[in-house]
Amino acid sequence: MKDFQTEAGATFANGVTLTGGGVLRGARGLLPVALFVVPFGVSFGVTAAEHGMTPEQAIWMSLLAFSGVAQFASLDFLSPSVPFLSLALVALAVNARHVVMGAVLSPWINALPPGRRMLTLLFMTDPNFADSYAAFLNGKRDMGRLLGGGLALWAMWTLGTAIGVLGGKALGSLDAYGVDVVMLCFFTALVAGQAKASRYWAPVALSCAAAVLLQGHLPQGWDILVAALVGGVVMAVSGGRDIAGRTR
Amino acid sequence: MSGGEFQVWGIILLIAGVTLASRLCGPFIMRAVPITGWVERFLDGVAVSVIAALVAAGLAQRGPREVAAVAVSAVVMLVTRSPVAAMVAGLAVAAGWTGMLG
Repeated sequence: MKDFQTEAGATFANGVTLTGGGVLRGARGLLPVALFVVPFGVSFGVTAAEHGMTPEQAIWMSLLAFSGVAQFASLDFLSPSVPFLSLALVALAVNARHVVMGAVLSPWINALPPGRRMLTLLFMTDPNFADSYAAFLNGKRDMGRLLGGGLALWAMWTLGTAIGVLGGKALGSLDAYGVDVVMLCFFTALVAGQAKASRYWAPVALSCAAAVLLQGHLPQGWDILVAALVGGVVMAVSGGRDIAGRTR
Repeated sequence: MSGGEFQVWGIILLIAGVTLASRLCGPFIMRAVPITGWVERFLDGVAVSVIAALVAAGLAQRGPREVAAVAVSAVVMLVTRSPVAAMVAGLAVAAGWTGMLG
């Protein structure tokens, strides 16, 4: 594929760039995944309407928050007197994985100037994080991959929300077509693609075990965070070679 | 604007604000942490584990239909190395399961 690195005219530390061509390629690359986000958006829109949200409110929420788990969780807090502190803690927990995802991408993200760094991070979510991290490990340096993938997911999430909240219950359940498992299968594919390298086996196995064992013992969101940290510690102490070839 | 509607906008802004902060603070924290071999391996392990944990937690809350779909998509990924093929295969298994077993 042709290299568009020069078109923006700016290359930052570590050879990092953010180009328009990269954004377009990122959006195109994640479009097949983003299309499957539409039914999730629809189900959020339908559920939001059932909880008494107006179409305007549901659509603005998807545009501004762009976090399916946090948005679904917040619907349970719609009541005459909202417990805002509890809601903030739940939002913090279900979004805690964003902190570790951002930390993981920091060697590349932090090479961008502050404005472009913030713009790119606004659209970081699970699928484009996983896609971009694999690409960056393979030597790709255009942050447009993260931003473009995020924009595609964001657009489809909002589109789905609008369809759901305006179309309402007439749409019914899409589970019969299997769309509910698409994200699980996409994440599985990303893990399977990485787990060819044997150094990932122990962290993956133990984090999965932690996630299953912690079910129901921690508030929603914290189980994922703890499981991810378990995997990180296992990887760090397992004595394997790191990316730079150093040994413990 | 009624009091109830005002509260809904409050929820929307709170969720948006907390989510934005969670997206921005990882790279911000890492500016203060020197990237040693240990930190590099830790982040590499966290990166794959957070995705694996999402799958494991999702399966723990679901049933054999989802386990079958995930297992097939893992095998398809290992054979074809195409995430889209893996997704389509998993979707087909889930749709077929629902169609045949309800």
